[in-house]
Amino acid sequence: MLNQSQLRYLAAESLAGFRRRKLTTGVTILIMASALLVLAALTLVTLNLGTVLESARGGLDLRVYLRDDVPAEELAALHPRLLAIPGVDQVTWIDSEAALVEFRRQLGDDAPLLELLDRNPLPSSYHVTFTAGARDPESVRAIRDEVAQWTEVSEILFNQDWVNALERWTYRFQMASLVVGLLVFIAAIFVISNTVKLTIASSARVIQVQKLVGATNAFIRTPFLCEGMIHGLLAGILAMTLLMACGRLLGASLGGMVFFSAAQTAGFVAFCVLLGLLGSWAAMRKYLALRSDI
Amino acid sequence: MASQNQVRSTGSGGAQSDPRAIISFHHVDLQYDDQKALADVTFAVANGEFVCLTGPSGAGKSSILRLIAMDAFPTKGQVIVRGMPASRMNRGRIPLLRREIGFVFQDFRLLEDRSVEDNVAFAQLVVGQPHRLIVQNVTRVLTQVGLYDKRHRLPRQLSGGEQQRVAIARAMVNSPKILLADEPTGNLDPATAQEIIDLLFRVNDAGTCVFFSTHDHEIVKTFGQRVLVIEGGRLRSDERRRAVDRRASLVDHMYRAPEGAAAPAARPARREPAHA
Repeated sequence: MLNQSQLRYLAAESLAGFRRRKLTTGVTILIMASALLVLAALTLVTLNLGTVLESARGGLDLRVYLRDDVPAEELAALHPRLLAIPGVDQVTWIDSEAALVEFRRQLGDDAPLLELLDRNPLPSSYHVTFTAGARDPESVRAIRDEVAQWTEVSEILFNQDWVNALERWTYRFQMASLVVGLLVFIAAIFVISNTVKLTIASSARVIQVQKLVGATNAFIRTPFLCEGMIHGLLAGILAMTLLMACGRLLGASLGGMVFFSAAQTAGFVAFCVLLGLLGSWAAMRKYLALRSDI
Repeated sequence: MASQNQVRSTGSGGAQSDPRAIISFHHVDLQYDDQKALADVTFAVANGEFVCLTGPSGAGKSSILRLIAMDAFPTKGQVIVRGMPASRMNRGRIPLLRREIGFVFQDFRLLEDRSVEDNVAFAQLVVGQPHRLIVQNVTRVLTQVGLYDKRHRLPRQLSGGEQQRVAIARAMVNSPKILLADEPTGNLDPATAQEIIDLLFRVNDAGTCVFFSTHDHEIVKTFGQRVLVIEGGRLRSDERRRAVDRRASLVDHMYRAPEGAAAPAARPARREPAHA
């Protein structure tokens, strides 16, 4: 257990690197903040893509078009059958007349063209929506395949293509983010590790004396680990501040982009502190293992 | 070249079995990569002894000190310090052992940006002494080495001898059982070296075992009470003298006493070493 004098000493030593090597420390924090800014921006875009994808999945639905020659009571009997399928949320009947009215509305100025037709060409249909758990292309495709086999059904429309494309691009972006994130992670550890090595080199005599008089490795290591953590903390705060400033500047053009919540921001900064800790640990471990005292 | 069989050992033999030994080496070999630093070294040091370790540069003196401090571990044989065998030493316990060993070096190894007082206090701070005790102990040892009045000075404002006295104060502030002195007079003129040796004798008088490594034959001839001679990594002799003249002057010995002149009258031997 550390006493008050030791705590005071460790606190002073943790900040000593900032006092003794202002420029090196400043540059380290800037480099690290830049790398973390890239990481934070990628994370933010990934988060937003996830939201967009979720919203797109919410729009997944089926239009089940029915054959003209099936009696109305048989068509009505399809309603409970559709509702009985697991994953189906709502089933809405759209008769051919209502479909024509809607089509006419969509045509707008071209609607008079429909007067050329001698009969309503649009079939009656069911509009099927899904529960949250079933809103993924695989589940919807399975339901579509099942319903397509019913004799009363003539055709099914499924807006899967663009959802599939969105999913593909989201996946690719997430993979790219992961790779970039990993590189940033390694780079940040490397940058911090090298800065702490400079501090260690300039404190070689102090470390040597500490070991000679019986300081434990934990006691020797603590100020350096704290210094790395402070680097990570400051770099993380700087990166978040820059990202927020960019968000403010580009606010209008980013539309409904979602920013990090307070908990996510705190989590990101905590991650940066962890990076700092790992960087200094890597530097110290090697140094304490190699160093001879006498 | 003399063989190991030629070693005259009048010291505490039977290193491994001697329960009185504070330091014991039993057939110790030490290998650095492809170079053998020590070969079949056996000796034991009792609590409170003053031992001179001598030999030419590269003979293995520092290797023996490193083994005592457990900064190196024997390739073969056994080293036991304060009852702790190196072979069973957990790395986490080495700092605890070091707290019982004081170190003094030729180059002082002081922290240049800290005052005399802070240099000495540092050794206490590291081992977790409370502030009140640190102040008491630092005052005590600085008074003992005669530097209390200069406690606020930086090392560069002191002479070489004074810096070495600060190093001794730092080594002694944790009341170690063993003081390892590696060429502590190497950077000092004879008069100052004499002061340092006197100080080391005072430390020894207080019951601390002093292990004094030097390649200076004059110091060994003048002050060696028990002398271990090492050459080429082998212990060539282990000789205990019956009496050492503490009044002998290194300056006289080196600069004034003509070759073959009668040695100064010997004083009775210092008290016998206490056993651990």
